[in-house]
Amino acid sequence: MSSKPKIKDLLVESACEHNKGKKSSCNAPTPGATTGGCALDGAQIALFPFADAAHLVHGPMSCIGGAWETRLTPTSWSGRDLTQTGFATDINNNDVVFGGEKKLAAAIDHIAASYAPEAVFVYSTCVPALTGDDIDAVCKHRSEKHGIPCVPVHVPGFVGAKNLGSRIAGEAVLQHLIGTKEPEETTPFDINLIGEHNNTGELWRYRHLLEELGIRVLSTFSGDGRIAEIRTAHRAKLNVIVCAKSLVSMTRKMQEQYGIPWISCSFYGKTDTSNGILAIAEALGDADLIARARALIAREEARLDEKLIPYREIFAGKKAVLNTGGNKAWSIASALQDLGIEVVATSVRKSTEADKAKAREYLGENAILMTNPATEQAKVIDDTGAQLLLAGGRSLYTAIKKRIAFTDVNQEKKKSYGGYDGLLVLAEDLINSLQNPVFELVDRKAPWQK
Amino acid sequence: MAEVRRKSGKPLQVNPHKLSQPMGATLAFLGVDRCMPLMHGAQGCASFAKVMFTRHFCEPIALQTTAVNDVIAVLDGGDYSISESVKNIGDKVAPELIGVHTTGLTETKGDDLRGVASKIDVPLVYVNTPDFKGGLESGWTLTTQALIDQLTEPCDRIDAQKIVLVPHVSLQPIEVEKLRDFIEAFGFKVVAVPDLSSSLDNHLGEKQASLSSGGVTVDALKQLADAAFVVTVGASVKPVGATLQKKNPAIRHHHLDHVSGLQGTDALVAWLLEASGREAPPPVVERWRKRLQDAMLDSHFSIGQTRFLLVAEPDHLAAMAASLREVGGKVALAIATVDSPILGDIEADQVIVGDLEDAENISAAYDLIIGNYHTESLAHRAEKRAVMRGFPNYEEIGNALKHDVLYEGGAYFLFEIANAAERMREAQVHHEREQIKLGRAVSLSG
Ligand code: SF4
Repeated sequence: MSSKPKIKDLLVESACEHNKGKKSSCNAPTPGATTGGCALDGAQIALFPFADAAHLVHGPMSCIGGAWETRLTPTSWSGRDLTQTGFATDINNNDVVFGGEKKLAAAIDHIAASYAPEAVFVYSTCVPALTGDDIDAVCKHRSEKHGIPCVPVHVPGFVGAKNLGSRIAGEAVLQHLIGTKEPEETTPFDINLIGEHNNTGELWRYRHLLEELGIRVLSTFSGDGRIAEIRTAHRAKLNVIVCAKSLVSMTRKMQEQYGIPWISCSFYGKTDTSNGILAIAEALGDADLIARARALIAREEARLDEKLIPYREIFAGKKAVLNTGGNKAWSIASALQDLGIEVVATSVRKSTEADKAKAREYLGENAILMTNPATEQAKVIDDTGAQLLLAGGRSLYTAIKKRIAFTDVNQEKKKSYGGYDGLLVLAEDLINSLQNPVFELVDRKAPWQK
Repeated sequence: MAEVRRKSGKPLQVNPHKLSQPMGATLAFLGVDRCMPLMHGAQGCASFAKVMFTRHFCEPIALQTTAVNDVIAVLDGGDYSISESVKNIGDKVAPELIGVHTTGLTETKGDDLRGVASKIDVPLVYVNTPDFKGGLESGWTLTTQALIDQLTEPCDRIDAQKIVLVPHVSLQPIEVEKLRDFIEAFGFKVVAVPDLSSSLDNHLGEKQASLSSGGVTVDALKQLADAAFVVTVGASVKPVGATLQKKNPAIRHHHLDHVSGLQGTDALVAWLLEASGREAPPPVVERWRKRLQDAMLDSHFSIGQTRFLLVAEPDHLAAMAASLREVGGKVALAIATVDSPILGDIEADQVIVGDLEDAENISAAYDLIIGNYHTESLAHRAEKRAVMRGFPNYEEIGNALKHDVLYEGGAYFLFEIANAAERMREAQVHHEREQIKLGRAVSLSG
């Protein structure tokens, strides 16, 4: 049977909030008015953090040239970090005409011989998908030959955008890896973290707290992940989705197949981190665990509050406008509120209905939910007297024009703001922004301007 | 000359530095004022290119995609997705030009770009740039040729003062500007095609990436054919000379493989003197030549004892190798992204078309690395030092203003490389001393 997932099924995902209203619109990018990566991009984001697996992109250089070694997803894997190693078949004219299967097979052989990975993910891209390379057959054959799983991931960009790609990645892992190995031991508190990519080390900001409670992270999909662990993921007692709606289909199927319940959490800022830890304890349903979780949360919050005192003084009375996408619209807002900053507006441009509702709930009655932040934010800054704009790099100019402080919140950020301690990092960065004279200075009139 | 290996022989690239042909095309279109580059393919290729150039230049990048999806991939010959894109772009902005360039997907489908373009009623230039052929350099060159081919009006007059300058893709914005100013100092008017010097040069402006801003104007492109000369810099853009000459056979073509180092710049000056009929260059040029001479002497000791790994596009390799060789730098290995006729002329022990795995496999052969962002982690693993040059450089800011060419930039380049080589040796010496200390401590306690 082909491992190509049924795209339509993935698009009409019953457990996915945001598909309630619109059935397949996420699959129809508008020509000439589309931003964002393709399915391949999404699959890479989802799977690349497995540092003990090789990630082989079967396609031309467009598919990997600008994409490898760009994501800061650190690993504690002691072997060579294959997250930061780029593999591509770099298909040429010949492969287009005569097919690229032989080349692909030889590429896997090269990787198996030189890098001894725990698995090889083979990403199919637009051209080989169109010319019809049988990637499943190559993977199957090479899995047998080398005795390691070679997992086909069918993500040619023409099937859809990033979200779909990460769902397909989840499917591939479900079909080819999960359930192929038994854990050495199990505990009543085994969980999987799904959708946690450990970007900039966010996982490491809270993992130790879970472990302190005796909650074992059996596997992660895929931050600081191990292939050997994800293969045992079917024995977990609970799936925890971290900030990743696109993986709901994966956890729902794991519930059907293995009876594993799932919850969704965020570990961004104090409130969310506390809620997340408690939710996990409650879902595991052990009274003693819940009590210990409560105690730990109280201890951590007290510790953090103590450290935040000097910051709160500085941030008192400060107002911020937030322009960032999706669930960040409320998760960062919540972190800012933890610091004592009033969030007067946030963007809901790409948010789902649930995210919008949540943003409203977090920000309160008077906050402005911007549907078109690019054009709205300047006026919102004027109207609210905000002193701080948190947004992607593109909005920098707005801040300069308005002469207010700016902090970049985009994905390539180099620091982790996650967990309890991430809040302190965020606080430092915000203070640096607020105190930096550059935003006032840079747009001052030149001596020859009147 | 070097031993040249023109084919990789491996079934894959490991830690690739090669970039795709459509990316080169995008960049060339960004050198045209008020242009919207439109990549014809599925949405991902444009997104990757956009992210890469945004990070390299620290600038918003204008780029759209025809967003071909699975239904369209089968049914459409490009008509629908391109004309829809043009319409949708037009709803938001008013570009002077739309630059359609293809990808592997749409080329494999066999879309008839010329046919589609002929039916579209807005200023549009199209170019076929499948990514299973060529690379960054060829994408840039094909696009430059397409711009001239499709926009430049034939002409039979000559403006004796006018020069069309065609830089290769690896010349950074400030280098194009310096080169233009240099030539203009000899009394010429220069039009650079493409011209990144005013579009991606890190200047503060109200840039929302809706369109490219700065660059050669469409009007200027139309009127290129009255130039007295077309000057091509870099072997990859040499064919552009003939493309322009088709519009006016009276245009004379002068080609330079590079304008780096003393000899490379001397060659340009010699030609400029001849072409302008001047006896001597402007004083500032003379002054910079003397500074470069001094820089060569100051840096020769350090660079002369250093073995280099160069990783870059072919034209960029040729330029950097020439600069280093002039002060005794030993180029142990030069790794090109793609094959090029220029590879045979590079003075190095070994020149190969390859990837960074190839470099890692013979890391004993070199000390200092000059290459793109990905060479940083190579340097780390191989315990070397890397100086960042070429696309992409995510590690550092200020890439658009890095100036390595002509007498002036040549001096900066030598200083930077010599300093990096010294720091590398100091670190090695420090490391060795630490080892000796440790060794003593061990022997005493033992
Ligand atoms: S859209 Fe297709 S060809 Fe382009 S990067 Fe994505 S998978 Fe590769």
